[in-house]
Amino acid sequence: MNTEAVKNLLYRMADDALIIAHRNSEWTGLGPILEEDIAFSSIAQDKLGHALALYTILNELGEAEPDIIAFTRNEKDFCCSQLVEYPIGEYDFSLVRHFMFDTAEKLRYELLQQSTFEPIAKLAKKVSGEIKYHTFHADTWIFQLGSKGNEESKARMQSAINEVYPIAFSIFEPSSFEDSLIADATFVGEVELQKRWVERITSIVEGAGLKLPTIDVTSHYGGRNKFHTEHLQPLLDEMTVVFLLDPSAEW
Amino acid sequence: MYGNISIVDQVIGKKNAQEDPVKLADFQDKIDRGEKIEPHDWMPYDYRRQLIRMIEQHAHSEIIGALPEGTWITRAPGFKRKMALMAKVQDEVGHAQLLYNAAETLGKPREDMINDLLNGKSKYSNVFNYPAETWADTAVIAWLIDAAAIINQVTNSKGSYAPYCRALERICQEESFHLKYGYDNVVTLATGTPKQREMVQDALNRWWKPIMHFFGPPDVASVHSEILTRWKVKMASNDDMRQQFFNQYVPKIWELGLTVPDSELHKDDVTGKWTYGDPDWDEFKRVINGDGPCNKERLAVRRMAEENGRWVRNALKNPTAKYTVPLS
Amino acid sequence: MNQKTIHSLDPRITRAQILSDVDEVPQYEVLEQFITFEVFQQQKSGGHHIHVGSVHAPNIEMALLFAKEQYGRRGKSTGMWVVPTNAVVTFSDDDLDMFETTPEKKYREVGAYMVRKRVEQYKKEQK
Repeated sequence: MNTEAVKNLLYRMADDALIIAHRNSEWTGLGPILEEDIAFSSIAQDKLGHALALYTILNELGEAEPDIIAFTRNEKDFCCSQLVEYPIGEYDFSLVRHFMFDTAEKLRYELLQQSTFEPIAKLAKKVSGEIKYHTFHADTWIFQLGSKGNEESKARMQSAINEVYPIAFSIFEPSSFEDSLIADATFVGEVELQKRWVERITSIVEGAGLKLPTIDVTSHYGGRNKFHTEHLQPLLDEMTVVFLLDPSAEW
Repeated sequence: MYGNISIVDQVIGKKNAQEDPVKLADFQDKIDRGEKIEPHDWMPYDYRRQLIRMIEQHAHSEIIGALPEGTWITRAPGFKRKMALMAKVQDEVGHAQLLYNAAETLGKPREDMINDLLNGKSKYSNVFNYPAETWADTAVIAWLIDAAAIINQVTNSKGSYAPYCRALERICQEESFHLKYGYDNVVTLATGTPKQREMVQDALNRWWKPIMHFFGPPDVASVHSEILTRWKVKMASNDDMRQQFFNQYVPKIWELGLTVPDSELHKDDVTGKWTYGDPDWDEFKRVINGDGPCNKERLAVRRMAEENGRWVRNALKNPTAKYTVPLS
Repeated sequence: MNQKTIHSLDPRITRAQILSDVDEVPQYEVLEQFITFEVFQQQKSGGHHIHVGSVHAPNIEMALLFAKEQYGRRGKSTGMWVVPTNAVVTFSDDDLDMFETTPEKKYREVGAYMVRKRVEQYKKEQK
């Protein structure tokens, strides 16, 4: 097993989960209807749990404690995709980001169930039920606001898709470890994942009466190589402000 | 003071005099026998109205209550606290949902209740008109405000209106997590670094007065209170609940070496009764009537959340839907 | 013209740029919050589905989606049903007196059949 390759994969996944969980938690108490507020918050909590589980595996591989990894790094050390960094915007943006990101997560974890790296295969099997709800939720909303919605919601969904879809490809920016991960059967790699993701997204979006724009796949690359948008550092500053009052203290 | 009677309209009597005396007597007998009233049962107009007000105010308190602690969700230190705080604030939204349903069984649609919150006609617990200035504020709120709420809720869960009792039972189960989490948080800070201890003591100093206001002003014997007690709408006096709070929580506060900003607070060894300094009931009145530090912001945020969600709800609306009162 | 927005202790609220001075208060019509569905939860394998409350939802698919987290986010759930409130049929409260005399129908209960004495008496007589 190529430990560096595995760690890289885990950091990418964990950082994504942490940042999108953080973003989606911003909706708690402010959602469009009480019942949806509750559902969306559960999904964010689940993602935070996934981040913790992934950082825990990293800790077992010799990295620092999860709280230290998550709450003391700056943007130059984060490997999250640029997609998860963007502010929450309105509910259309957040729902479409949730749909695109969570679909990728579902496919990624499905593929990882076959990983030769046992801890991740085990985690992938464990969270499959939770993630099923996440995509059930997302898919339902795309249909409800798409073909089952009204003119305004269709327009907003289309506009959000046009905005989010190009940025979503930042999830699949390949790392320098792709060949190693594939060779060791740790993971089938971003190319395969992206292929399945595009198929799935297309099916849902077109089924909902909406369209996918043509895009430049690499236009939002950078996150995996620690080049981020102007949104990440302020997010991290906010997220860590209390923890950093005393990182050695127990909170 | 979730739905405490002292902020509920107390004009009772006029309508009561017009009720069928036989029905009224049967109704009273039913309550005296300890039976519960369900949505489909006959009930006096005033009973229905007071309960709607009380449960509605409790619901509003929960959704507004999500805001002071929500202030610190994005800044919670560490995974444990971040997840727990999200779950706790989510619960407040969940409790609002349960309570709006319970109030709705009495005939007031959820939309009307939201309208009355936003236009200021309906009140909510005063305590949430104060700002959560530091992380430690969320610890104090989660421990002591939730503790006060639990006392109120456990008491009211023995009341006569069944949907409210059922909602409160579920809420009490969830609140016990809040209390445990809040206490854990306060203890961690109080036994932590000097800075953490200072932060939690400072938070306690600032929140003590609102906590004292939570159960409402000292009881004044009145005809209105009396009938609400007979109907098992008002289940305990403000003073009784406040004494219970002192008994259960002040020793725990003092045990940590923390102080409260009330030099008069002490328990009489003989009577077992606590005396306390005047927590400024004029301030209470001013804040409940709109002049608190956060009243404007709390309602502005609710208005924003509802308005920003309007397009979502519009898109999902079914033009042929017909309104039905929820079951229970 | 630059209107003042709310600066809050909550950074999310500051970012939301809510106008400080708004005179208009929204007025929502009935059914803005949709119709309700009744939720039944099975809490252990083999158990009954128990009524646990209601959700407001635009349609039954979303009702199930919402019910899962509002009523299933704690403890164990082995099953969940949602039913539109207006599909539930019940007796009118005036007619609930139909149930009043049921507890008196002892012939439907075990207690009405105490036969031991007769058997003992018979055995005694046979000796």
